Formats: sequence, structure tokens, C-alpha cells
Amino acid sequence: MKILVALKRVADPDNANKVKIPADGSTIDTAGLEFKPNPFDEYALETALRLTEDGTKPKVRDGEVIVVTFGPADTESTLRAALATGADRAIRVDANDDQLDGLLVAKGLKTLVAEEKPDIVLMGKQAVDGDTNQVGQALAELLDWPMATFAATIEEQEDGLVVGREVDGGVLELSIKYPAVVTVDLRIVSPSSVYSTKTDRSFKYNEGVRFSPLPAIMQARRKPLDTKSLADLVDDTGLKINYLRFEAPPARLAGVKVADAAELVDKLKNEAKVL
Amino acid sequence: MSEQRMGDQSFMKGVFHGDLAEDLIFPFPQVAKEEGENLSMILDSVSRFLDEKVDSAAIDREHSIPESVIEEAKALGLFGLQIPMDHGGIGLSTTAYSRIMQQVGGHDASLAVTLGAHQSIGLKALLLFGTDEQKERFFPTLATGEKVAAFALTEPSAGSDAAGIKTHAKLSEDGTYWVLNGSKIWITNGAIADVFTVFARTSDFEEGTKPRLTAFIVERGEGLTTGSNEAKLGIRGSSTTEVFFDDVRVPAENVIGEVGRGFKVAMGVLNSGRLGLAAGCVGVNKTLIKMALDRVGERRAFGKYLGEFGLIKDKIAGMLARTYALESMTYLTTGLLDAGVPDYSLESAICKVYGSETAWWVVNETLQIAAGTGYMEEYPYERILRDSRINLIFEGTNEILRCFIALSGLAGPGRELSEVSRAMREPIKGFGLLVDYAVKFARNRIAPGRLTRAHPVLSRETVLIEEYTAHLAGHVGNLLRKHGRDIALMQFAQRRVADVAIDLFALSACVSRTTATIESRGEEAAREEIDYTRIFAVEARRRLECNVVGFEANDDEVRKGAAVRSYELGSYPFDIMG
Ligand SMILES: Cc1cc2nc3c(=O)[nH]c(=O)nc-3n(C[C@H](O)[C@H](O)[C@H](O)COP(=O)(O)OP(=O)(O)OC[C@H]3O[C@@H](n4cnc5c(N)ncnc54)[C@H](O)[C@@H]3O)c2cc1C
Repeated sequence: MKILVALKRVADPDNANKVKIPADGSTIDTAGLEFKPNPFDEYALETALRLTEDGTKPKVRDGEVIVVTFGPADTESTLRAALATGADRAIRVDANDDQLDGLLVAKGLKTLVAEEKPDIVLMGKQAVDGDTNQVGQALAELLDWPMATFAATIEEQEDGLVVGREVDGGVLELSIKYPAVVTVDLRIVSPSSVYSTKTDRSFKYNEGVRFSPLPAIMQARRKPLDTKSLADLVDDTGLKINYLRFEAPPARLAGVKVADAAELVDKLKNEAKVL
Repeated sequence: MSEQRMGDQSFMKGVFHGDLAEDLIFPFPQVAKEEGENLSMILDSVSRFLDEKVDSAAIDREHSIPESVIEEAKALGLFGLQIPMDHGGIGLSTTAYSRIMQQVGGHDASLAVTLGAHQSIGLKALLLFGTDEQKERFFPTLATGEKVAAFALTEPSAGSDAAGIKTHAKLSEDGTYWVLNGSKIWITNGAIADVFTVFARTSDFEEGTKPRLTAFIVERGEGLTTGSNEAKLGIRGSSTTEVFFDDVRVPAENVIGEVGRGFKVAMGVLNSGRLGLAAGCVGVNKTLIKMALDRVGERRAFGKYLGEFGLIKDKIAGMLARTYALESMTYLTTGLLDAGVPDYSLESAICKVYGSETAWWVVNETLQIAAGTGYMEEYPYERILRDSRINLIFEGTNEILRCFIALSGLAGPGRELSEVSRAMREPIKGFGLLVDYAVKFARNRIAPGRLTRAHPVLSRETVLIEEYTAHLAGHVGNLLRKHGRDIALMQFAQRRVADVAIDLFALSACVSRTTATIESRGEEAAREEIDYTRIFAVEARRRLECNVVGFEANDDEVRKGAAVRSYELGSYPFDIMG
């Protein structure tokens, strides 16, 4: 099985307060920010690894996992981290964030899919910076492939996947045929949420994404990392979505201490007007 | 790797001559880009492992690190950090190794000590002095942790003084193996180790004479037994045992280095091992600072947060500045080592002494800030306090290391002076030498060492270094002229010399690092670094003044007298009951 995982780096969500927006609101100043892989994309990579192995032998890859990101040269460290975790090779499509929108990324991925011919394209349900939640859906449309979004569980079958999606009041299970696009949600990295045909159903993964052993980190440098330009993949690199203005959320006001429940109720009623 | 750094001079040894070999410490060493990238991925993995798997309270309570945690640490690669890649290790530099030990030390001291005993000292003799054949034979299994290493020097009769070693090795008639007999105490990893670096005498025991020591690699096997784990104050999850050798046969090819040169091997191992310990102390300090900051922002008294009180701010500022000094000196030294500077023995001893004492101070102050809560077993403060105590004792006690810092610093000028005095006895033949010395002395007096590469913003701190370097060199000269070799017995003076040296190295490291930050990011962005350097410099100035004055004016003799008289009495002499 061959899986293409789309991976984006985002400004460290734990340090979101470092994001600066100039007074004219024209852009987001990314200088000095620390970057991390988008957590949902890390879950997608974990899912891809689980689908291409026997859970008891995580060092043996059965199939191929390719990670791709769209970003400037320093996003290669994000790709290397993915290679260290177990991906086989990486592709970086050279572009700056402000040259990209969801549709453009989906179009770029479409060309890559034509070149690589994966059985599955996996990615996070959304990136936690822009929260657009578009790329997976747009890609499935462009490819005319079946799609499962917000996957919480995946079971590999002979010719496709059974995907569990958490919806209000229950789990929706759907069966999709290869090739397919799947976007994953938080619960996909629970101990028994993903099973390849090689992994015994009694096997339990560690909660969360795996961490890379140190030798794999050192060897990741020897794994292939190709670079492509956006123009190689997409004819029209114009943006369809333009951001008009950015605005920082209002600073949080200092809290007040209330003496007793009566005062609290009074304030909620008369000041906050929520009761 | 800059050319100038390759000389065989040590920065601190230069300081004893009044020289400031600034090219050794400027620019402050940076982690190379590729290793930095690997290192941040490694730290990410290591932190996740520590956070998810290592429960320090449980380790302390159970007096052991769970087997599964050790296994996972091995699988992660934590047992082969500095073993070269072609021997199955991760092949990291000393800087990267130390940064990882910082991470582990900041999370769990028992695990840090276990990992440190294995690779900071246990297998270090092989790394530094081993032959290719020995490395080939031992490294692959040590790198994966399939085999664990230990360092066995201490004996009941030989703690600080390795000359007291009684364990002896006798070469077989045919010269193919040695027979080892004796015992060691307090050996970290004793219960879990398979490979021991053992120091044994290969000369007959004679009271008062220096033995010839030899270092051996000894595998667990027939004749080698270990005692049960000692119950101890802290680092309770680490194993500490006796090791017994009863006619243990050690193949001749297991000698590390040369026969009779074991002392050199032990010193080499400890010189580099001490840096891992210092880095662990950086980690402990960072953890404690975080705990203290959480506490002072939460706990209220007299209608205020603790953090609002002046005495608390004073403590926090001290913690920040001293930790900055420790971090700077530690990574300056690992950088020197990685750049190939061969002699870093003084610098690493300083890092060990300063690191262990700073961590001890920071843990004490953090516990004080937490007060009653700090004293309760339910909270981590008291455990970290107990765990931190060992650092002042092992890998050379801080007393021994102060003497070492002073005496090996003095040895350079001492050698020069003895040549000078010889020259004075043979005036004609020694004329050239005398002139050289006079010139050097004059140069030091007129133009003492300068730090021209320090940023001008730090001029006050730079002048302090220059001034006290000149003072140190001057007093060293006086002491040597006045006392000659007897200085070796004068520990009060040695303590002052060592403490001046420690402050000078700490200050130099801060100035170098802060200069690098100012140069790369500008003065505004280096505000914090500049302030920490200043705070540290003010603290250091007080000590420097006091120590330098003490060379001339002190109550050393009174103190010695009081101590010696009490030895005769055997107790405190007074009671108000009359
Ligand atoms: C938990 C633990 C783990 C250890 N792990 C190891 C290990 O893995 N391998 C190993 O080989 N050893 C190990 N040791 C031993 C440790 O290195 C020694 O305890 C240490 O070197 C000091 O020796 P000592 O305890 O015999 O003290 P002593 O040498 O008896 O010293 C007692 C006191 O006198 C002072 N003193 C001694 N000589 C002088 C002097 N000349 N001038 C001034 N003051 C002096 C000392 O500083 C100390 O304060 C370990 C010890 C402990 C507690």
C-alpha cells in the first residue's frame, strides 16, 4: 500500500500569543515564531504508519509512506521529523504561506497524486492555524475520488477502508474503495483506532503519536527529500481566496474576585447579562 | 572549528598567568545547523518519553526505575548517545550529549545518574582510550543498552584518594591474562551492569607511596559478584552496590590505555564526565525555576502574591542569573571540547563545582519559597532536594575539586617560577630565561590580559574580569614565591584561588555568550541576557573582593588552631550550664 500524507507546519499553538499583526492588519508577522507540525497532520502520519505495518513490528514498513508539505526551505525540518518517525520519503513544494490557499494546495496535491499514484491520501481534518478545513474535500473533488472526513477509526480491508466518523449521537461507519482521500480527527490516535490487515485486533497502540527513536532521527538525513516548485505542479498559481484583513483577538481583561455566590449571580445577571 | 582554538592552551590555565586567551572563548560556541536540527528532534522524542513514561515520584518511592522504562530508554537510543554511529551509537557531540543529559536531569535524577554512570563515565574510558579492537568488541552492545556499563574506582580505603586502592591485578605467567582480587564500593549501576571499567593496582601495596594503577574492562562473569542495592538519601531509583573480585581472570587485551597509567585514564574519564553532571544541574535548575515561578504566581499572603515581595524577587533574580552563568560555562566548555581543545580539565571541574552548588542553592531556595508545602513528601520539592545532594559528593568531592582547580592552575606558573629560580642559581646560562620571565611579568603588570572581543555594553563586567585576572596572577606569583611547593599543603589559600577562578570563568562565559546574543540580535533583544550577566557580576564582585583581600588579611591561623584544639577535645567545649 502506498500512502501520501500531506503535512503542514503551523505556528506553535502553545505560543499563539507570540503571533503579531501589524497595525494595518495586512498580514501576519511570522518572524520569531516557533513552528510545529499541525497536530492533525501528525495524526495523519501516525495513521499512515499504522496502516503500513504490523503493530508489533513498527520498524518494518509494509508499503510506502510519502510525506509532502508546501512551504519555504525551513519547513524541511518538519519533513525530516516525519522521516525520522517512519515515513519513507518526502517532497517539499517550494512556496510561502502567503502564496497559497486551500484550493491551490489541493491542485498541487492532485498533480502529485498523478505522479505518485498512492492508494490513499491522508491528512488532518484541518490545520490549526487557518482552520479552513478545505484541502481534503477539494482534493477528493478534483480527483473524483471517494472521501471520508473526520476519521476517528480506520480498518484496512482487501480493497478499501472502513472508516468510523464520530457524529452527534453515534459513530457513522462507511466503507470506501481505493483510491481514496481520508482526513483524520483527534481520536484516530487512540490505542485501538487503526488496524492494518497485518495487525492483530487484540493489539493496542500507545495513545498518541509515536516518538522517533534516536537512531532513526540520525538516519532520516539519508532518506530522500525532493523539492518541487509550485509552478511545476499547477499552471495557474493565482489565489482564489484573498485575506482582506487580520485582527488580533481583543486582549483578555483581568478577572475579578467575587465574595460569594450571591455576588456572582448578581454580576452574571447585571454585568455580563448572561442569566 | 577555529584555528586558534586548536592550541593546547586552556583558557583558565592562561588566566592563572594573567592571560585572557579570548580567542578560545569568543565567539560563544553555537550548535551547528544540522546537529541542531537533529538535536531538536531528539529532544522532542526525549521529552515525550520522559513526560509520558518516567514517574519520578514512583521511582523514588519504589527505590527503582521500572524495567519497562529502562527498556524503552534503550529502545529510544539513550544508552549510546556518544558512541560513534559505525559502532551502533548515535554519535553525538559532547554539546548535544550534555543538552540531552540536561533534559533528563531536569526530569528525573535517578534516570540521569543511571544513564550518566553508563556513558558519562562507565564506557568513557573505552571511548577516550580504547583501541579499535576494544571498541569493536564492546560498543555495539553498549550502544543499544543490551549491556550496561559502570565505573568502579572507589573502595572503602580509597574515596577521594585513589592512591588507597587495594584491588590488585597480577599478570599470569604466560602474560595472557590478569587475575583481579579486591572490592569496590558505591558503584552506580552495580546491580545492572555487565561491563565494568575497573581501576586496580598493578604494583605492590606500600603505605604512603603512589601505586601504579591500571584500568581494565571487566565483564560480569566468574568471580565477579555485586552486593545488594544500598539504601540512600536520594537518587533512589539508581542502583548503588559493592562489587567483589575473587580471582577474576581478565584477558590481557582488556587493559585500557597503558599498564600503570590508570590514573591518567580515570582523570580523563572524570574530566569529561563532569560536564554531563553540570548539564544535569542546568536541567534541575530550569525545572526548579519553573516550579518556583508557578508557586510565586499562585500563592498569596498578606493580600499579595508571593512574587510581589522583595525578598522573593531577590531569590528569583539570583536563580535566573546563576543558572544563566552555569548554562553559559557548561556549554562554553562542551563547545571547547567539541572544537578539539585538548585540555579542559580546569573548566570542567569548575562546571561540576559551580553546577552542583548552584543546583543545591536553587533547590533550597525553591523549597523555601514553597515553605511548608516544600517540606511535604506529597510534593516534589523534598525529593529534588534529596536527589540534588549527591552532585557535591561524587565524581570528585567539591573540596577535592577546589584543590585540583587551584593546584593545577598554579602548576603552570609554578613550573615557570622553578625554572626562574634555577636560572637565578646559574645566572649566565639562565640569562635568557630570566629575561623572558621579566618580560612576561612586566607585560602582565603593564598590560594585563584584555577581552577586546567583549561587547562594549558589558564593559563594566569586562573590566571586572580583567582586573581580577591580574589580581589572581599577582597573588599566584606571590604565593609561589613565598611558599614554593608548600602551597600544595595550604588549602585555605587554595580555596580562595579556586573560588576566584570559578567566578572568573563564570563571568567570562556570561560575557562571551551575551556578546554573541547582542551581536546577532541587537542590544534590545538581548536585554535579559545583559541583565542576568550584570546581576551575576555584582554577586561575583563581592566574592572576588572578599577572596582577594583574604590572600593578605585573614584569620586562617586562628581557624586552624580552633579546629585542631577541638580535635583533641573531641567535642564542642562549652555549655551555658557552666
Ligand atoms: C550515590 C553514590 C554513587 C557513587 N557512584 C560511584 C561510582 O559509580 N563509581 C565510583 O568509583 N565511585 C562512586 N561513588 C563514590 C564517590 O565518588 C565517593 O564517595 C567520593 O569520591 C568521595 O569519597 P569518600 O566518600 O570516600 O569520601 P572521603 O574521601 O573519605 O572524603 C570525606 C570528606 O573529606 C574531604 N576530603 C578528602 N580528602 C581531602 C583533602 N585532601 N583535602 C580536603 N578535603 C578532603 C572530602 O571532600 C569529604 O568532604 C559514589 C558515591 C555515592 C554516594
